Amino acid sequence: MKKLRTPYLVLMFIILYLPIIYLVVYSFNSGTTMQGFAGFSFKHYNELWEDTRLIDIVFQTGIVALLSSLLATIIGTLGALAIFRVHRRAVKGALLSLNNVLLVSPDVIIGAAFLILFTTLKLSLGFVTVLLAHVAFSIPIVVLMVLPRLQEMNPDLILAAQDLGARPTQVLGQVTIPVITPGIIAGFFMALTYSLDDFAVTFFVTGNGFSTLAVEIYSRARQGVSLEINALSALIFLFSLLIAVGYYFINQLNRRQKAPELREKVK
Amino acid sequence: MVEETPILEFSQVALSFGDAEVLKKIDLALEAGKFYTLLGPSGSGKSTILKLISGQLQADSGKIYFEGKVINDVPAEKRRVNTVFQNYSLFPNMNVYDNVAFGPRLKKLPEGEIKEKVKEMLALVKLAGFEKREITELSGGQQQRVAIARALANDPEVLLLDEPLSALDYKLRKDMQQELRNIQKRLGITFVFVTHDQEEALAMSDWIFVMNDGLIQQNGTPEDIYDEPINHFVADFIGETNIVPGIMKEDYLVHFVGKDFENVDAGMRPNEQVEVVLRPEDLDLTDIDNGKLVVTIKDQSFRGDYYEIVAVDDDLNSWQVQATNPATIGARVGLTFDPEDIHIMRYNESEAAFDARLESYDEEEAEAALQAARDDQDGSGGHD
Repeated sequence: MKKLRTPYLVLMFIILYLPIIYLVVYSFNSGTTMQGFAGFSFKHYNELWEDTRLIDIVFQTGIVALLSSLLATIIGTLGALAIFRVHRRAVKGALLSLNNVLLVSPDVIIGAAFLILFTTLKLSLGFVTVLLAHVAFSIPIVVLMVLPRLQEMNPDLILAAQDLGARPTQVLGQVTIPVITPGIIAGFFMALTYSLDDFAVTFFVTGNGFSTLAVEIYSRARQGVSLEINALSALIFLFSLLIAVGYYFINQLNRRQKAPELREKVK
Repeated sequence: MVEETPILEFSQVALSFGDAEVLKKIDLALEAGKFYTLLGPSGSGKSTILKLISGQLQADSGKIYFEGKVINDVPAEKRRVNTVFQNYSLFPNMNVYDNVAFGPRLKKLPEGEIKEKVKEMLALVKLAGFEKREITELSGGQQQRVAIARALANDPEVLLLDEPLSALDYKLRKDMQQELRNIQKRLGITFVFVTHDQEEALAMSDWIFVMNDGLIQQNGTPEDIYDEPINHFVADFIGETNIVPGIMKEDYLVHFVGKDFENVDAGMRPNEQVEVVLRPEDLDLTDIDNGKLVVTIKDQSFRGDYYEIVAVDDDLNSWQVQATNPATIGARVGLTFDPEDIHIMRYNESEAAFDARLESYDEEEAEAALQAARDDQDGSGGHD
């Protein structure tokens, strides 16, 4: 079994990354299709640079993602705090299940439900409706990331703060929130990725010319994929890669700062 | 003598969680500036008393007074008491300085004054210069010290300590016992210390409350409680002990294991059924002729400074003996003790009745009388 481990892992990652690498390679194709590599060129990147609509959409997607995850993080954290304070186990379990059902229910259903809601409310589809929908589906994710942090927290910390004279708001601001901050940040980034990724919900609730990247790429792909999309995908992939690498180094740095004594012992 | 108002007083305080009665109408009064210990097994209600004082729990009935004023409805953050928690409960998001400064900052003291206070408190717990350290960089013992400094930085009138030493190793625990006692004496504030460790309680306290089943079983100085336990529970919980059934034939004469023994207790009914307490360190092994009881050695183990010997008498009562010399397992030997080593306990005697009975006769007088009788006997023996 041990012998097979390395080849298995190598094969697995090749299969996982091959489509992306294939796509990135063709973004440098001087031809216009993915049938045969004609030669190296940056022309699709130039096309992308001149396509102001697409660049606008990239920014719109980013703004929707940032705003929606920020709002969802605030609402979700308060929600997690509220669920945490419910003492009756049955009620707590029911609330958690209601939260988790939203996470696992298909995007299509959520999208359709929001479309019906917004049309009933006579809201015109566009930025606001997309934002509201994204906030809504991100909240359960934030709750799910923050709640375990609260449950792991030593409950005596709250008692200790009260004991030292802190009023409930001071306990929350000076002890509880700082202690669960890693969970809040994780929740924010999870919400951000979910929002950036989302196609199905956005597809239902967008309109009046407003679009996000996922929806735009889909609608262009139906008319035959232009290699400009490849170029854009390559850039987004590079961006994700940088974030992942950056995250790794920040983590390493934190760990080293956190345990200097440990490091000295290792020396 | 003028009675001072107790700094803290419980009057008929009771608390139940559902069907479980955690505290059953407790009365207690604490004087300012003393080191008190609440001693008892887990579930005895000792930590509950602490939480009622700090305001983490509310009493179902009864009144709690602080300096003569009822504080049942005063919220925790407004009480002039602070707690050192069992698991330290330092704020992990703050360094040592910020932890200790937490209370003073909430009081909105000027930053310069806070700095002085933190410095003073860290010096008090022997952590001067540790201000910038992160909590994760500290050992368990150091975290304990920060927790004490943090609680004391708030200038409490009463410091509550909830089994603060239970997570430390033996040597460190011994040192901290001494240090806590010194800190208490230096600051002159009231300490209420909760523990299940009788040795710790005896070593540190001015006054001990022994708790079991939500009731105070006995309270008194460490010497009182060790030498004159009121009942089986207290005798058994405080230190190693031998308890055998007996009959109090008359004042100063008790019958157990088939023989009559002179002792120094009185005030029972004639021929009352009692329990006889003899501490292992008061028992000596001797030859059969000189022994007051004859026992067979069953077991022994080496404890460093003494041998713990288990012997059985002819009534099959088990006797623990602490001896400096080893014994031979299986040997029949004599067991000897002095009349004043015998302590008699009545069944179901209340603490008030116990105290009253102890007042009703003078133990030292009884001892002196015994000694005189013994001298007399020796003298007459010489003439024969």
